[in-house]
Amino acid sequence: MIGLKAFGAYLPRYLLPRDLISNAWDFPSVPGTKAVASADEDSITMAVEAGLDCLVGIDPKSIDGLFFATTTQVYTEKNSASLIATVLDMKDDIITTDFTDALKAGTTAVCRAVDTIKSNKDIKSILVIAADTRKPEPGTMWEFGFADSAAALLIAEEDLLPVSIEDYYSISANSTGPWKRTEKDKFIRTFEVKMDARIYSQSITKVMSELLKRNNLQPEDIGGAAYYYNNPRLHGRIAKMMKFAGGVAQNSVFFQLGDLGTPMPFILLISALRRPKPDAKIILAGFGDGADAILMQVRDKELLKSVNKNAMGVAAHQKSMITLKNYDWYIENKELLEKDRYSRKSSAVIHWRETPSLYQMYGLKCTNCGTIQYPMMFRSCYKCRADDQMEPVKLSLKGTIFTYTLDHLIGGGYYETPVPRCVIDLDGGGRILLNMTEIENPQENVQIGMRVELTFRKQHESADFVNYYWKCRPERGRK
Amino acid sequence: MVRKGIADKVAIIGCDMTKYGELWDKSQYDLLFEAVQGATKDAGITKDDIDAAWVGIFYYFTGLSGATVEDILRLDGKPITRTENYCASGMDAFRNACFGVASGAYDVVLACGVEKLMDEGSSGLPGFKIFGHPVLPIPSAPAMFSMAATRSFHEYGWNREDLARVAVKNHSNGAHHPKAHFRSEITIDQALKAPMIADPLGRFDCCAMSDGAAALILTRVEDAPSYAHGDNYIVVKANAISCYTNTPWYVPQGAVGSDFTHFPATEKAAAAAYKEASITDPRKEIDCAEVHDCFTITELLNCQDLRFCERGQAAEELKNGTFNWDSEIAVNPSGGLKSFGHPIGSTGCRMLTEVTKQLQGRAEGRQVPDAKIGLAHNLGGAFCVCSVSILGQAK
Repeated sequence: MIGLKAFGAYLPRYLLPRDLISNAWDFPSVPGTKAVASADEDSITMAVEAGLDCLVGIDPKSIDGLFFATTTQVYTEKNSASLIATVLDMKDDIITTDFTDALKAGTTAVCRAVDTIKSNKDIKSILVIAADTRKPEPGTMWEFGFADSAAALLIAEEDLLPVSIEDYYSISANSTGPWKRTEKDKFIRTFEVKMDARIYSQSITKVMSELLKRNNLQPEDIGGAAYYYNNPRLHGRIAKMMKFAGGVAQNSVFFQLGDLGTPMPFILLISALRRPKPDAKIILAGFGDGADAILMQVRDKELLKSVNKNAMGVAAHQKSMITLKNYDWYIENKELLEKDRYSRKSSAVIHWRETPSLYQMYGLKCTNCGTIQYPMMFRSCYKCRADDQMEPVKLSLKGTIFTYTLDHLIGGGYYETPVPRCVIDLDGGGRILLNMTEIENPQENVQIGMRVELTFRKQHESADFVNYYWKCRPERGRK
Repeated sequence: MVRKGIADKVAIIGCDMTKYGELWDKSQYDLLFEAVQGATKDAGITKDDIDAAWVGIFYYFTGLSGATVEDILRLDGKPITRTENYCASGMDAFRNACFGVASGAYDVVLACGVEKLMDEGSSGLPGFKIFGHPVLPIPSAPAMFSMAATRSFHEYGWNREDLARVAVKNHSNGAHHPKAHFRSEITIDQALKAPMIADPLGRFDCCAMSDGAAALILTRVEDAPSYAHGDNYIVVKANAISCYTNTPWYVPQGAVGSDFTHFPATEKAAAAAYKEASITDPRKEIDCAEVHDCFTITELLNCQDLRFCERGQAAEELKNGTFNWDSEIAVNPSGGLKSFGHPIGSTGCRMLTEVTKQLQGRAEGRQVPDAKIGLAHNLGGAFCVCSVSILGQAK
């Protein structure tokens, strides 16, 4: 069968209460919170996080492809999927494609993954990752919605899977909005939201209804419906129109996390798969200038339980989120303020040459004395001084702080400071220096002996490209 | 073949340094010109007596190659070499100059150093846009050393007050030195209340950004009495350099230097210098020492690694006055980097100038009583390059 072998999610560290937006712009109070990424995150770094969460216990080199779905491409010419696959340490004889430009890109990528696996005997599994960091124009209604997240679904063909994919159905529709012109628009635009909403409702109900019809199913046969929405009232109306039983349509996300964009249906699906009924049939649906609906069925509850156990998914990420206390932090982290940014020497060639060290976190093991060390450019052993007796070794993404400082001077200037510089002993060997991100009150909270996790982040944009590398963060619970 | 070393072969016959500080109205050319003019005058020679020169410069913007010195002095095609070895750049210029004399290649040589930092602005050391790795973290200089402070607090039980005592002592000495950048005493309370630079190092735990230059004239010991100071020349007893990794934060547990509570480069350079100078009990035998105090924690750990006291005892010894200018071993009687700032390429030559004048009994500022053997020490980069030189009086 073809279906879902594993899944993972990523929700950023911070929640912005909508009331802070209301207060900032003197708008009427709006309830709930939304997920907000840090300044050092983008759709690529969040995709890496979701991929890591999905691949716990799975060899990345066993996967045959990576499809990346986003409307917030970091580059308009440069394949993000290839970079993400590199960081996730996948093999190089794989297919990589970016699906973009509409919020349904995630569900479309799942459909194409199914097609590809069906039609190509060499391709048995494809990792589909969706991520979005849509930047709303400050002081507009978009600001209450747009939120940041990523989610990963590993689509595979195997004899037994936790969840099967039974069918899909798609439609195309040229919507009235929203849009964002490639070179002219900094923010998303639209002409008439009421008209947009009508096209959304028509598209999403049509695509789900047709899917039921094709499979001779009645609404009461459906145990879970994970369809994109950006308006809770509309979401409820669609559930009613579809005649779904109470609790079937997943609706917890917008209120707490916001409009997550492309990954939203995946996030809803992961929530639906947390405690599903045996053999439950679940619809996954995405919208954006058309719609896709995918029919899934729970096949093996034990396998599903272990997937849920490995991945942080949605619930464990939500547990480790922190609520922001002021709007300024949000505006600054979204880089909506003009500010000097940290820049330093850079070279795309060095990034390429040191890919195992910088992107995939390999170190070296001295075959003479066994000492594990980092980075990989040094060919004589730090400890026994043996020359050229090193073999590559994958390092852990977790460790303990040996010593640290809180640095106020970044490259000769004062930027967002202090930056904790942490000397970390990685679990299983290797010592590394990393900046810490997402730490509150570092003076009190950074300590010798503190446990940290490595997280892939933007460092700076010198030489006119995004310079990615790892930082550490306080433990959130990634396995 | 037995290694002969250079002990007792080379003499310092003249030296000088500029005023240190934020010298906005002077260029690196002015500074080095003034220091070299002062040194040649001190030795009673002219620039035409110089056979060769070595200049310590760290930053490319201060000057590239020996031609920088040619442009300052117009030595008419003489051999000049720029040395760069982080904070030891100046002392390494001196070391190479000594080799030039000891080998017999030259009769009279110039060792000098200069750095013009303030033209780049005063907020921390510049250069991260030019060198280094694209993404591997490069901590600021105070951040590098403060990682040792954090670990030393943890291991030795020291605290910020222990660090503040270093600043209080050095500023107290520097207040007497006419050429120091800072000439005011400070209190422990002032130091503790200053803004943080790299936690736990505050502003008074860090040396300042300054401009300055220093120069020394060397010749063979047997020729030395014929110059201006006659028999009151100074003898080079030892020069040692030790290099460890640029990036101590990658040194895996169990390897040398992974503890962050001592500096292996200082330990190694000190051992080599003591051996060459036949010093067995540095605390007893050395009278005055210019010890690299780029940060207060650096001085404390260096005093231990130079074997002035036991490991873990430096804070206690400092508190008890061991390192005061008129006590057992005067550490930074000039006021150190804390009072002079750290124009990188010049600092080693400034320290050697200070020690030379101490041993000649003509120190500016605090004259250490009856100083016979003196030591100068630099520790640069992320505590990776250390230089130790030992000077003595003429026999």
